[in-house]
Amino acid sequence: MVNQLAARNVCFEYPGSPRVLHGVSLELSRGELVSLVGPNGSGKSTLLRCLAGLADLEAGEVLLDGAPLRSSTPRERALRVAVVPQFLPSLFDVRVEDFVLGGRYARIDRWAGPKAADRDALERALAACDALECRGRAMSELSGGQRQRVVVARAVAQEASVLLVDEPTTSLDPDHQVTIFELLARLACEGRVVLVVTHELNLAAQFSAVMAVLHEGRLVARGSVDAMMRSEVLTPVYGERLHFGRMDDGRPFVVPRARMLRRPQG
Amino acid sequence: MTALGSGARAGLAYAALLVLLATASVLLGSSGLSSAEVLEGSLSMLGLREPLERNAQAIVELRVWRATCTLGVGAALALSGGLIQGMFRNALASPSLIGVTGGASLGAAFAILIVGGYAPRLVLEAGTGLDAWLVPLFSFVMALATTALVALIASSRGRASVTTLLLVGIAVNMCVAGAFAAIQYLTLEEWEVSRAILAWTFGTLDDRNGLHCLTVFVGLGVAALAVPFVARELDLLKGGEEDAEALGVDVARTKRIALVAAALAASAAVAVAGQIAFVGLVVPHLVRLFGAQSYRQLLWHTLPAGAAFLLGADVLQRWILGDGALQPGVMMSVVGGPFFLFLLVRSRREVSTW
Repeated sequence: MVNQLAARNVCFEYPGSPRVLHGVSLELSRGELVSLVGPNGSGKSTLLRCLAGLADLEAGEVLLDGAPLRSSTPRERALRVAVVPQFLPSLFDVRVEDFVLGGRYARIDRWAGPKAADRDALERALAACDALECRGRAMSELSGGQRQRVVVARAVAQEASVLLVDEPTTSLDPDHQVTIFELLARLACEGRVVLVVTHELNLAAQFSAVMAVLHEGRLVARGSVDAMMRSEVLTPVYGERLHFGRMDDGRPFVVPRARMLRRPQG
Repeated sequence: MTALGSGARAGLAYAALLVLLATASVLLGSSGLSSAEVLEGSLSMLGLREPLERNAQAIVELRVWRATCTLGVGAALALSGGLIQGMFRNALASPSLIGVTGGASLGAAFAILIVGGYAPRLVLEAGTGLDAWLVPLFSFVMALATTALVALIASSRGRASVTTLLLVGIAVNMCVAGAFAAIQYLTLEEWEVSRAILAWTFGTLDDRNGLHCLTVFVGLGVAALAVPFVARELDLLKGGEEDAEALGVDVARTKRIALVAAALAASAAVAVAGQIAFVGLVVPHLVRLFGAQSYRQLLWHTLPAGAAFLLGADVLQRWILGDGALQPGVMMSVVGGPFFLFLLVRSRREVSTW
């Protein structure tokens, strides 16, 4: 069981491009869902790649319970850290079961193949993500919502203690968005370290324990939902066109506010 | 139906098909030998019968080596194609992309220059027995060297991106093709040499012997050893390199093994048979059409399927055309293009993802 994943002063740049992350430090602890928010291009996905040990850092380090993550082999990392990527190719010829079993790669013996434990993990992951009805189908036959649940199911089947999720609700309708966040919150409650990168501020506000705000490659704020869902924090990052309010039960929300367009005169 | 059951059934079907094709291939020919004679001659090669009279026995042996070579070459090219397509994550990739074919051609051309006495200082005396070996040896070495060059230029910090590999492959192929064209032009006057180089590019399976067979099957065997180490990995690479790495795949190692295995199989095939196009490209597609979508299945299926494809095509054309039969390389070029188009039209669903 992993207790903490921590980025310490992480700097990253893509070759030949300006620096994307300028010394980001962020601690993720077991049992709490952390939402990483910020405008497009603020470096959220890059930070997630760094936290997953998938990128060579310019400076700083990522520590998993105190040990540098990047120095372990891909297999060792996969046993402890699972990633839900933002984009995947169409995978038209891949069956859902095979895809989800892909999450077991690091645990499946090369010569023996999947064992009962792997089949069990597959079943449990599909059930947890409400995706059992997809199992016999090809990835290309799934709707956007089903596909996203199946991608999360693969990470669940990986049975890693850390789950890093990149924009899981893009292209999902509101009901499915809630389903995914409920699932992530439940996975965190069960004792995992869970980070979700998202543009859905309101879902993040409802489900996460902690929000972290990234702006131009720097972590500008980190704290409880109530502390983060404020104009002082979000307006400097997202601009003026936000409206802040409270729902019936007192929880904060934020919506984009359009300026009224004036009809041309004459 | 268990996985083992269906696997065994497919194995039996393949075995039956290959035996049938090999028999047909050995029986076909214009020498007027009876089936019984061909059978006896073949068995005598295994030491089970007395040999036929000398000429007849020689004819039978040539036919057996030809059929055996064809099986090995077909399997090796198809396996190489499957590996390359998996590594490049592109169903249009083929062994020629990584420089194998171009390198082999250039190597063969050099060897023919030497054997043909065109490079006086390097001449090996004719009749040393080496000259028959020089062409396959040179083409094998040059094929591997060219692939190594492509991989070397394309890698930085021990990693080769697939896009870079593709571009470098095209560029190196152009250089190699340029050198090859120069040799062809310079030898235009020496028409025996020129003819030998040209004939090699057509790909031939005539006059093969046991050593040719050994070459292709050793290359094929070593390459096939790599399959268990890359098949699952290539399946996971379908989601992209970073996704595969996040699942625990050592991506750099997988690409390295797949590249070396693909180069080895294709080099062995090309060294023995010259250029034979389309087998490496089309057979993996055929196997997919028959339902082997994952590389765990596909790579194993390419072996018997590739062998059956090349030998089947060869038997068919010799049966139809008789003495006017084309060389297998030429035939593949003639038939391969239209056949590939046919496959594309049939499976539009796949095309949309390219």
